[in-house]
Amino acid sequence: MLFEDRPQDLESEIAQLEARLHDMRAQLDISTYPTPPSSHPDKSWTMQSYNNKTTNNTTTTTSKNEQLFRPSSVRASSLHALLLLSDSALPLGSFAYSSGLESYLAHNKPSRRTNPVTSFHHFLKLSIASIASTSLPYVLAGYRRPETLDTLDNDLDASTPCIVAQRASVAQGRALIGVWERAFRVSFASSEQTSSSDTGVTTAINAIDEFSSALKSSFEDVDEYDLGPRGHFAPLWGVACRAMGLDLQQTAYTFVLNHAKAVLSAAVRASVMGPYQAQNILASQSLQDTIMGRIEREWNTEPEEAGQVVPALDFRIFNS
Amino acid sequence: MPIRSPFESSIAKPGQGNVVLSLLPPNNPTLTTLTYKYPLKLVPRAPGFVPTPDPAALSDSCPSRPVHLYLLTYGGGLLPGDHIEVSIKLEPKTRMVVTTPQGSTKIFKTEDNGVSVIKGHRKKMPANDHLSDMSQQSLDVRIGRQSALCYLPDPSVPYQNSRYAQVQTFTVDAAARGEQRSSLCVLDWVTQGRTSRGENWNFRFWKGRNEVWAADEKTGKSRLLLRDSVILDDEQEDELATDESDDDNEDSSHGLNPQPDGGDVPPQAQAGLLPLNVIQERTRPHGVVGPVFDKLGSFLIEQFTSQPRIGSRNWSSSATSSAPEDSATARGDVTWTAARVRAGFVLVKFGAKDFETAKHWLGGLLREEGSIVREFGEEALFCL
Repeated sequence: MLFEDRPQDLESEIAQLEARLHDMRAQLDISTYPTPPSSHPDKSWTMQSYNNKTTNNTTTTTSKNEQLFRPSSVRASSLHALLLLSDSALPLGSFAYSSGLESYLAHNKPSRRTNPVTSFHHFLKLSIASIASTSLPYVLAGYRRPETLDTLDNDLDASTPCIVAQRASVAQGRALIGVWERAFRVSFASSEQTSSSDTGVTTAINAIDEFSSALKSSFEDVDEYDLGPRGHFAPLWGVACRAMGLDLQQTAYTFVLNHAKAVLSAAVRASVMGPYQAQNILASQSLQDTIMGRIEREWNTEPEEAGQVVPALDFRIFNS
Repeated sequence: MPIRSPFESSIAKPGQGNVVLSLLPPNNPTLTTLTYKYPLKLVPRAPGFVPTPDPAALSDSCPSRPVHLYLLTYGGGLLPGDHIEVSIKLEPKTRMVVTTPQGSTKIFKTEDNGVSVIKGHRKKMPANDHLSDMSQQSLDVRIGRQSALCYLPDPSVPYQNSRYAQVQTFTVDAAARGEQRSSLCVLDWVTQGRTSRGENWNFRFWKGRNEVWAADEKTGKSRLLLRDSVILDDEQEDELATDESDDDNEDSSHGLNPQPDGGDVPPQAQAGLLPLNVIQERTRPHGVVGPVFDKLGSFLIEQFTSQPRIGSRNWSSSATSSAPEDSATARGDVTWTAARVRAGFVLVKFGAKDFETAKHWLGGLLREEGSIVREFGEEALFCL
């Protein structure tokens, strides 16, 4: 594992991420997303409320106060949960999967027309487009409707014929349940947190609890036509982020960014590029634009409309 | 004003078709419903059912003679704004073969000034908005217990600048078990367009979705068993598609095919540039499930697992350099995968350098195994 081998890299990555999160926030504030669906009229979970709060603070106090540390703002911003969920050290095993990079490189030996880094850039874009078109709708639906977690899990399982992708998704999803139960739940499901004005938080917490116990009590292949819960990552990510108080934009962004980080990490391991170049790409405006563009594109895509936009990726992973 | 029949509305819409296949006593498969409306046409190969020369030749597992249904559209394709909507119900113990006798389903693009590509068949399309401008086709098949569907159509051929969306839904009986299960074998494939005109994945939009549901009639509950959804969008304003295109060929050559000079470059070699483009012919699942197709499913898995894997295979070799006795897959002309997925499905995905190669490869596989011909007759492989 990358992060176990190089703690200093990890520290610097965290520092960079923290800095970037600040920028991400600013970007999200001004992003032009359509408003979330009216089924969630409660605005307290959106970025907007954080925004208004800070704006109000600054307008009602002197400008000097901008230099003051305001614990309430940090709390209201769900910054803590956001950092936890975007941490490379989060034990989900996401870095164990290259999302088809090795296979892609094996099938695309550098030729006179390409070099490995150019080829990788293309792969990264396709990979992000692919994860956004196939999985992001399930993340968004999990967040918006946590009570439908088991249906989303079944439907995503039915929609992921690629065995390798399926295994990776289930492994990460179950790992996320494990982290939630062993580490996060005690802090985030406390009465103080759940008294939040977003009733969806409670629904999300209950949804994970129920799903988890169903998962533990189910046996593989009990019924040919009803496979029981599987534990796919994308809908669980949406529900878990809701339970931890993130807003929908943050939930979507961390999902796609974490995917990009995993692919970049795989590229470093495969010696396509060095760690600094990987960080350079991760920090780039072009990557941010790509991620934003894909999220915006899928923002209103219902799960049943999700689909593979890069069919060749399925072949490649399949054949690896 | 005359009172309209309540049944009329269900078939009144253009492009709609409705078929029910029942098994009448003693053992007589009959199309008890067969309605369709222009531009759709549904034709049973013979009135009611396909005559079988020797009923004794039916295998034990085959409860009734298969009925052959032709799926046709006027002009052999779909114009922008055409909506084809076919609903088929196979009652228990029936069998149906569906083919497309007109050859590939052409997805036409009407020019902005409204001049239709087909002569005389249909009126010019008015200026349409985005959605109604799209050709759409939906197929909904309910397959009762112990009944079987064999649907091996020709591919759809989306012409340059065409826009197409298709949804195919297959529903099996959730309560049936073992030999009682519903069976289906479905092929869905799409080509790069008219190669004779140099078209190469330069349609605007192609979206296809195949779903298999298990429905329990008693509880009314249904569960999604399998969904395969592919979206091929040229994303004209998107950087993904315009990466390597120049400003001077903005009209048609970017999008799915920004490489105008693919001529002498073997498909595999283009992979580094644009995987969206590498598979010159690609399909979506050729899904196989059910007791009737158990042998076929196992055969396909065996064939796949006996393929050489990465590392033992020279991926960079060009398609034309191989010896003639090599199989299509060994030459790298066909890339395919087969997997046993959930609910007993065997899912095959394949891509080939051109239509003929794919057709030859798939037809060869299915004939070699023999189940389709044995259970449904040679005509089930009409399109292959």
